[in-house]
Amino acid sequence: MPDDYRQYLIRLIAMHGISEIMGALPEKEWVPRAPTLHRKLAILAKVQDELGHGQLLLRVAEDLVAPLGMNREDLLNGLFQGTIHFHNVFHMPAPTWADAGIIGWLVDGAAIITQGMLAQGSYAPYCRALERIIAEESFHIQHGESICIALAEGTRAQRQMLQEALNRWWEPLIFFFGPPPKSELTKHQDLGLMYRLRNKTNEELRQRFFHKYVPRIQALGLTIPDPNLRLDKETNTWHYTQPDWSKFKAILRNEGPMSRARLTLRHSAWEQNRWVREVLSTRAAVAV
Amino acid sequence: MADERLEYHIYEVFAQESQMAPAVHQFSLLASSPDMALILAKENFLRRQKAWSVWVVRRDHIHRTGPAEAEMFDRMDKTYRETEGYRYLKEKWRRYKQEPLTAQGMT
Repeated sequence: MPDDYRQYLIRLIAMHGISEIMGALPEKEWVPRAPTLHRKLAILAKVQDELGHGQLLLRVAEDLVAPLGMNREDLLNGLFQGTIHFHNVFHMPAPTWADAGIIGWLVDGAAIITQGMLAQGSYAPYCRALERIIAEESFHIQHGESICIALAEGTRAQRQMLQEALNRWWEPLIFFFGPPPKSELTKHQDLGLMYRLRNKTNEELRQRFFHKYVPRIQALGLTIPDPNLRLDKETNTWHYTQPDWSKFKAILRNEGPMSRARLTLRHSAWEQNRWVREVLSTRAAVAV
Repeated sequence: MADERLEYHIYEVFAQESQMAPAVHQFSLLASSPDMALILAKENFLRRQKAWSVWVVRRDHIHRTGPAEAEMFDRMDKTYRETEGYRYLKEKWRRYKQEPLTAQGMT
């Protein structure tokens, strides 16, 4: 395996695995506050799935770092040392129940578009993990759709809560796929294309997201907070307002709205659960 | 007597959906004991899927062939081992049912 291929995979898969774990944090805030028992069970299941995805991906990343003398602990510590980043979409706040719905519907919807492409990549162990993950993401999307449709069919206040959540998440959803081509931030795309780990650019994925979700968002009577968003029928391309990519760069430096808080939460969970890891790696001495 | 330090190992996980089903490879996981591996296998891979039996096997206890040996499985014509190689029989039977083979016809 070429070194730069291995390095690319480690970067990609470790980041993906850590992001699954970090992605559970904004949603887990809503487990104790879910409006009904059914909703609580469903969001709890989703949070558990995300952590399970983290386990699958760290397992794959672990095999890749093993020849470099590293293990899972090094990967998890990489998050705290700033060498491994978590996905830009998980640096955002989720202040209302509608945010939990939008995350399930549109953030997971965006994720499945990226993951569907990655699942056709050249590294089979990652593809096998993605196959399992995508099967569960389909449930996550419907879980999110169910929350959003219930709110859209609800009272004026509930519709407004949903609209405000969409307003908050629209820019993060544009950021989700990364910067457009010919940007200094896209150098990693080229290696991914060369090694057939991806076959679409960030922009192609974003266009695919627009094609799929703009009509659905509008079908719920919601307003997309971009007056310039329109489909050019001739070229079948969506035009949209470029977001402020300097905000995106700030997130990459862990300077997003919730970056510090989520890292602190993750760090305290890591420390508070240390005793569990200790117990699991010790067999108590028993008198014979 | 001191507590014994356990090492983490990679376990490969297999699951059988029913008594008649083959054990199918699911994925792998990291665990400090077979007990922990079984619990993680259920939590990680069988949250929805039905299973009659789950196996966990330490990866370093598995003997396997690699890509270099893959070729040996398809190197020559093996139709003599398969029904594919005996397809012409159907036509023979059809003919002899219409016109039974007799000793007189033979030379």
